[in-house]
Amino acid sequence: MSSELCPPYAPFFGFAGVASAMIFSTMGAAFGTAKSGIGIAGVGTFKPELIMKAIPVVMAGIIAVYGLVVSVLIAGSLHPSNDYPLAAGFIHLGAGMSCGITGIAAGYAIGLIGDSCVRAYVHEQRVFVAMVLILIFAEVLGLYGLIVALLMNTRATTIGGC
Amino acid sequence: MAYYSTYYASFPSFLVVVIALYLLFTDSGESFNVGRYLEETSPFVWGSLGAALCIGFSVLGAGWGIFLTGSSILGGGVRTPRISTKNLISIIFCEVVAIYGVIMGIVYSAKLQNVPEPVLYTRENYFTGFALFFGGLTVGVCNLFCGICVGVAGSTAALADASDPNLFVKVLVVEVFGSVLGLFGLIMGLLMIGNATEFTAGSPVTSRALAVPYVY
Repeated sequence: MSSELCPPYAPFFGFAGVASAMIFSTMGAAFGTAKSGIGIAGVGTFKPELIMKAIPVVMAGIIAVYGLVVSVLIAGSLHPSNDYPLAAGFIHLGAGMSCGITGIAAGYAIGLIGDSCVRAYVHEQRVFVAMVLILIFAEVLGLYGLIVALLMNTRATTIGGC
Repeated sequence: MAYYSTYYASFPSFLVVVIALYLLFTDSGESFNVGRYLEETSPFVWGSLGAALCIGFSVLGAGWGIFLTGSSILGGGVRTPRISTKNLISIIFCEVVAIYGVIMGIVYSAKLQNVPEPVLYTRENYFTGFALFFGGLTVGVCNLFCGICVGVAGSTAALADASDPNLFVKVLVVEVFGSVLGLFGLIMGLLMIGNATEFTAGSPVTSRALAVPYVY
């Protein structure tokens, strides 16, 4: 029953990958949403007509969606009756952590950018385009993590049996 | 004065280095065996910890969000008492996070069926134990961050509402985006245990072969 390449504790690392993808990207998305939400509410106090520029909040939510996508993909290949190689478990752990920790970075950047750029927008409307560009660059950090996680996940599914 | 963190960080790392060197120099380096630890730890440990972390962290997040929002509502309500009833929606958004934790706690604890020790250690039970642990950790920590985020957003919504009543619905959009994070955690918690069976007794011959009860 116990095999060298597919030990029974291999799903521990697979599930750790699922959890880290979701947890860390939620951490980034929560910081981004809260921090930019503070700025957006502050804008509304001074100029209520500008408040629909809630773009940083949407982009922070997308970071959480990246984490959800990677988590769902990794969790889909975890099944008690499958022979799950330990190598696949470690690769899934790496994929989850890459998506999650880049999500922390992206969410942190989006939060700080959203807060300060929205406050600058109150004084000078022409910074709007610059704000969107900078937000896109911050968002793409999370996208890089998602790409690497997807690459690692496809590699993990092609690992042979026990 | 600001560098006490280096003192606090050096003691645990010192302990780790001392223990590692002790194991190395007494020729017992093989006793540090992650795989054997995972095999001989009961799946009930992981399952129970998962259910506990799920409800614990979710309620912590809900409470944190509620106090963040509530203190702003009460503070702003001193000058503008009209905000106190409408901003209870923000409190409810935070409370919903605790409800998610309760639901998942109930679902997870339903998997913790009583199985005697000699027939516990099957591949399926290991899988369920790990799934419950990481599912509970995911749901709990996602709800924790969601609760804090919704709390901060609700706090700013209350103060924006106090300055101008038309702003409340617009800042509520930020709160809705924040509460979606807890929902994602709930979805992942359900997906992770979707394939996991409840704890069932295995056959005595194969179950015992997986676990070594004695640590050398």
